[in-house]
Amino acid sequence: MPPLISAEHLSFEYPNGFKALKNVSFTVEPGEFLVVIGLSGSGKSTLMRTINRLLEPTSGTLTFHGSDVTHIEGDALRRHRQKIGMIFQHFNLIKRHSVLRNTLYGALGQLSSMQSMLGHFSPDLCEKALRNLDIVGIREKADQRADSLSGGQQQRVAIARALMQDPMLLLADEPVASLDPATSHSVMKYLDRINKEFGTTVVCNLHFLSLVRQYATRVIALKAGEIVFEGQPSEITEQWFKEIYGDDATEVEIR
Amino acid sequence: MKRHLLRLGIDVFFGAYIATIIDRILIPRVILDNVTTPFDGMHQALVIGLALVLAVLGSVTSASVGRLILDGSVSGSWQRTVAMNIAWISFTLTVLAGWVVTGISPSALFNGQGLEGAGRIFKALFTPNTDIIGSALLAMVETIYLAFMATAIAVPFSFALSFFAARNLMDHGAIPRTIYVAIRFVTNFTRSIEPLIWAIIFSVWVGIGPFAGMLALVVHTISSLTKQYSEQIEDVDTGPMEAISATGASRTQVVWFSVVPQCVIPFLSFTIYRWDINVRMATVIGLVGGGGIGTMLIQYQGLAQWREVGTIVILIALVVWIMDVISARIREALK
Repeated sequence: MPPLISAEHLSFEYPNGFKALKNVSFTVEPGEFLVVIGLSGSGKSTLMRTINRLLEPTSGTLTFHGSDVTHIEGDALRRHRQKIGMIFQHFNLIKRHSVLRNTLYGALGQLSSMQSMLGHFSPDLCEKALRNLDIVGIREKADQRADSLSGGQQQRVAIARALMQDPMLLLADEPVASLDPATSHSVMKYLDRINKEFGTTVVCNLHFLSLVRQYATRVIALKAGEIVFEGQPSEITEQWFKEIYGDDATEVEIR
Repeated sequence: MKRHLLRLGIDVFFGAYIATIIDRILIPRVILDNVTTPFDGMHQALVIGLALVLAVLGSVTSASVGRLILDGSVSGSWQRTVAMNIAWISFTLTVLAGWVVTGISPSALFNGQGLEGAGRIFKALFTPNTDIIGSALLAMVETIYLAFMATAIAVPFSFALSFFAARNLMDHGAIPRTIYVAIRFVTNFTRSIEPLIWAIIFSVWVGIGPFAGMLALVVHTISSLTKQYSEQIEDVDTGPMEAISATGASRTQVVWFSVVPQCVIPFLSFTIYRWDINVRMATVIGLVGGGGIGTMLIQYQGLAQWREVGTIVILIALVVWIMDVISARIREALK
């Protein structure tokens, strides 16, 4: 089977001249749970955003599911993004809207602007949204306002929203960085379950190595925009850890 | 280079400014006791001369006001003193010239006959004529409706325009940026013309009356609300925008589902406050024939019926105060 993502010599430079990604090449196979690690500012988030093309690579080639998506725009770009669900550190829900509506917004890419802006979501879509809320175990909160939920619950709504896209790939940009340890595991377990049960490929940024060892099938480490490590979670030794995070770093456990 | 020219320009301005004030205001109106002298060759030479002297001295010795303003400091102690003194002289001359031009006259303020007249008016103001309360209330209602209609008509326009006047939504190409600049320019321009002046323009256009006053407020409200709305849009949390974009949503959908929900409450708050402001403005606009309570006030004032004027002033104060309290309460509740 061909790789789901194939990045060749990918670089990204911000308008202010900061080079966030430098000549990055890697592939992601279907069904993988790839974790990207590295210090803040090492280019992890930028990498995520180039994959679903919220950012356009400055140079290099990005192939997704067999087609070159490096510089697509317009409808092609929208279709590309529809195939990729994304969740964020700060959940990014619409705070004042209900959990159900927030979930439905995952389907916006499939709807015409007029249809969706009038607020008409078909019964089928609502049914699907409720099913997805069921998967992340918060169906009973469907009518509550999003900001009345706890952080972990909000992140689960965000996962349900991403599931509305029936994604081939799920991008998770530091999904547990603003959650407490217990909640972190619950969110990671839902991602793991989606990966194993639905076969959805997951690319996830993480900070805690204990989580990496538990959930990742493969690890990429970024340092100053370059890949400095690629391999199995078990291969990250003390020495690699110092290499990735600097000599002063010590590992913090999260149980 | 650009900075050097700017510095030179500032020095020229200060020289010309000092010479002009002395030559055009202080000498003729204070020293020569209101003898106006023509601004002929000799006077022009004086103004240009001082401007050039300061500019040349400033750039040669670096005792320059331009340097003081642009760099915040001047190297060299006597150069610094000179530059500071030029700045102080300009300020002092401005105060002196301002005093002369405004015609400030303490004697007029405490003149016996004048005080008597003022006393009559104040006394009348405190003994309002309650007979006209009915018609005054009616005129007040007209003013409130006028302000309400102006706000209601302006809101849809402001709402639509504000998205095109928000930098963060219009930074994706040359055409959007042009639209942004154009809307910002037009709204800034129309806002810098006071509603009172718009009222004069519209009273010529559609005739004196509430309609002209309302149109004046509509123009001013559209530009003010567009500015406030668009600044709110520029302040939204970009996270939800990113999340909605990531689902493959169109640009319109992103704005509608992630920007609008974040703005609805602040927009409401701005709108209610604007209605409150418009009630006050409608009163003032009435003075130039915009209808409502203002027009009634100016009519009684013209007839020197001070007790009636007093009634109206008290009524205006009451209504403005009540509106202020109500709008503050609503805005507080919306938070």
